[in-house]
Amino acid sequence: MSCGIGGSSCETPRRRGAFVVLAILTLIFVALSIFSFLKSRGQVTPDTVSFGAYKADDGKRVFQAYNCMGCHTMVGNGAYLGPDLTKEYKRVGPAWLAAFLPSAGSWPMDAAVRAQLLDPIQQADTGTDSIEAYLKKFPGAAVRIERRGGGTTMMPNLPLSKDEIGKLIAYLKYTSAMNTEGWPPKVEVAGLDHRLQLAHGTETTARSAPAAASPMPAKAALDPVARGAQLVKDNGCVACHATDEKRLVGPGWGGLYNSKVSLADGSTVTADDAYLRESIRQPNAKIVAGYPAGVMPAFNNKLLTDDDVSAIVAYIHTLEKQ
Amino acid sequence: MQIEYQTQRLSLRFFMLMLVLFLIQVAYGLLLATQQIDPTVLAGVMNFNIVRAEHLNLGILWILCGFIGAILFVGPLLSKREMASPWLIKLLFYALIVIVVWNFFTLRLAQVGVAGWWEGQPWLQQGLEYLEPGRIAGVLVLVGFAILAYVVLRTFPPLRQWNEIHWGLGMGVTALMAVWVFGLFYVSRLDLQEYFRWFVVHYWVEGVWEVIHISLVGFLLVLMFKADIKSVGFAVFWGVALVWLSGLIGNAHHYFWIGTPAFWQFWGSLFSALEPLPLVFCFWHIYLDAHTNRRPLENAPAFYFLLGSAVLELIGAGILGFSMTFALTNVWSHGTWVTPGHAHLALFGTFGMLGIAAAYYAVPIMRKAPNYDQRLGKLGFWLVLTSMLGMVFAFDLGGTVQIYVYRILGLHWFGGDVFPAMSVFKLMLPLFGIVFAVGAGILAYDLFTLGRRLRAPAGADPRAATHGDLAVPRPAVGWGRPLSGFEAGIWLMMMWVFGAIITLGLLSFNLPRVRVDGDPTLPYLLAGVGYPGLLLVTLAFVWRFLASMEARTSASMTETDVRGSAVGAPASVQA
Repeated sequence: MSCGIGGSSCETPRRRGAFVVLAILTLIFVALSIFSFLKSRGQVTPDTVSFGAYKADDGKRVFQAYNCMGCHTMVGNGAYLGPDLTKEYKRVGPAWLAAFLPSAGSWPMDAAVRAQLLDPIQQADTGTDSIEAYLKKFPGAAVRIERRGGGTTMMPNLPLSKDEIGKLIAYLKYTSAMNTEGWPPKVEVAGLDHRLQLAHGTETTARSAPAAASPMPAKAALDPVARGAQLVKDNGCVACHATDEKRLVGPGWGGLYNSKVSLADGSTVTADDAYLRESIRQPNAKIVAGYPAGVMPAFNNKLLTDDDVSAIVAYIHTLEKQ
Repeated sequence: MQIEYQTQRLSLRFFMLMLVLFLIQVAYGLLLATQQIDPTVLAGVMNFNIVRAEHLNLGILWILCGFIGAILFVGPLLSKREMASPWLIKLLFYALIVIVVWNFFTLRLAQVGVAGWWEGQPWLQQGLEYLEPGRIAGVLVLVGFAILAYVVLRTFPPLRQWNEIHWGLGMGVTALMAVWVFGLFYVSRLDLQEYFRWFVVHYWVEGVWEVIHISLVGFLLVLMFKADIKSVGFAVFWGVALVWLSGLIGNAHHYFWIGTPAFWQFWGSLFSALEPLPLVFCFWHIYLDAHTNRRPLENAPAFYFLLGSAVLELIGAGILGFSMTFALTNVWSHGTWVTPGHAHLALFGTFGMLGIAAAYYAVPIMRKAPNYDQRLGKLGFWLVLTSMLGMVFAFDLGGTVQIYVYRILGLHWFGGDVFPAMSVFKLMLPLFGIVFAVGAGILAYDLFTLGRRLRAPAGADPRAATHGDLAVPRPAVGWGRPLSGFEAGIWLMMMWVFGAIITLGLLSFNLPRVRVDGDPTLPYLLAGVGYPGLLLVTLAFVWRFLASMEARTSASMTETDVRGSAVGAPASVQA
């Protein structure tokens, strides 16, 4: 305070000194910034990462368009409603993401992931088409399917197209590959059951989702309608299709059987057995007007036998408009 | 005091707009707190990310509105002439309203994934935290900043006659515009995008807003306490210098984990640890300027909020910021609820309260109501102060639990493990939020109707209406005795002791006992002592400071009463 009130004579040199220091600090900052983005840093860039034909940069544009950062964090920045997405690709892999993203409102079951593994892009990216090998490679997906499969996520269903999903996966692949200097910190407490016990006390174990594991009643095996109901649950169909006529991700099933359906190409068909079978086997053959193509995976006879498909169709038959 | 220059009146509309935007922002905040508990509320109609984009966007706009109002009010006083180009200022006002309405419609597009890509740029909305609006709004805002800078620089006297406050405000409004430009480009690399995004966010807050804040607080102190302009100028210069010396490289604390090299951890930890220095300095000056003369508090709410602004800047930006600024603590706090605790206290506390303080100072003058009823303003202050401290408590303790369950145990989010563990603190948020909303409503009502409400009936003691129940003068003892520099130092030290406990709490997550064995006792204990301790000391200190100021009022009033009754003059004359 001694110099301030009296006059500026002894103050000015000191003030000039402050500007000199500020200039030096600016130079340091600029130098550090340049070093941060040189090639020698070895940081991955989005132009080198793709998922199939989808580019990471296009994915970043989708990520921004949906303001994903408004609920999630990315490299720790963003909102704190949902989990951090930086290393999500590494944790759960592209097939789980592809199964999850179209119907983000519910957690995918393993059938949905299996259906995604039929996609050649997925096979090329993960190097496998077997669910066992996939879950071994991405243990995070295995834990999620086991603990959460079929439950609700609290995330709203977003109107993502097939291309947008592919692009997002490419972007998440890029962020997963980034060197973030050890963040988020590695979990060092051993054993999932042990960690759950620490968080919840003694009762909870990893297999806490009863819905996923409810055993099929023996009698149901004989009744195709009950079997169909069980199959749509086990395969996660109801994540996208409501059992009434409401639209979730795909069209609702209530009152669908034998109704007139207008298709995207302008024609009209009757939703009979043949149409429903085809829509399960080759969902993109006939797209209902107002719905995007390519979102539903094709369920071939590796995933559902002909009897399974018949049972599902029989179940859909019983659902009425509400 | 009365209006000297007619263009000062232009500030009134900005203060009123500020209050409207503030109320809307609080409403969005309440909705966010509800959605944190139940994310299905309004899902599909107004998803959380849309509400949050509005909450952040309005948070910036209402604070800027307060800045503009304050600058317009003090600008002519600093320049000793009318503001240049009043028509441009009016245009700025309508442009601000247009931007708010435009953002309301365009930010909603994120729900259907429309960003308006054209020529590689997102023109409608861009989905980046704090910079959500797209290019169209961005360019409009840039034009608005250019208008503000032009008007302020044109109004100011020639450069030779500038004192430190002119320099602070002049550089502030220019830099406000310059820094904004870094947010107007799409960047493909995530690390580079975050690097430039923090240019805007960090340098706005740390390099620009704080400079404007220091200058305005300085000049308001000159106006309110007739403080010596040279000594305030000294404080403004060194305040600004310290802000820039520490904050320039201090930006590095945002570059720890975004994909930039590890050397930022060294520079960031070192320089941003110095960032509280200017805040302590500013805090100390508030104390000095308020206590060097013994004038009674004429306009209590204005000073309440000015003090709140300096104290919460020290607590929210300074101490809570300090606790998470080291790479070893930031690795845990980063991306958790610990950070919004700091952000809410720093942003609302520092900048929001300054806008309200300026409004409380200027509005009674413009409405010719120097003896306005100050009780509502004081009540509003205590409501928003305590509830904001409460929200910070909920955020920070909720965040500590989150660090443990999410980062240490690596467990799942919704419907899973993290969410239920945080539920108590999630529930606290809307509860404090409702109190805050009531306080904000009272403040807005008070300022909207100030000078227009029914005046006290003639013959009633004007002081009773002004200061509440002063029939029995409060003795200047106990909490009301004058605050000495030594005692203020003790309070400051207590705040930092709790700040150190909080920092150690975050640091303790690194211990093998916590990180490997999963025993949360130590971090929980330190956070459980540190956060409530810091927030309670803050509350008590503000109470103590204001009690000493209030006691001074009544003491001098009693004195005047004696003299006043002796000569038969109304006591209010001296005010």
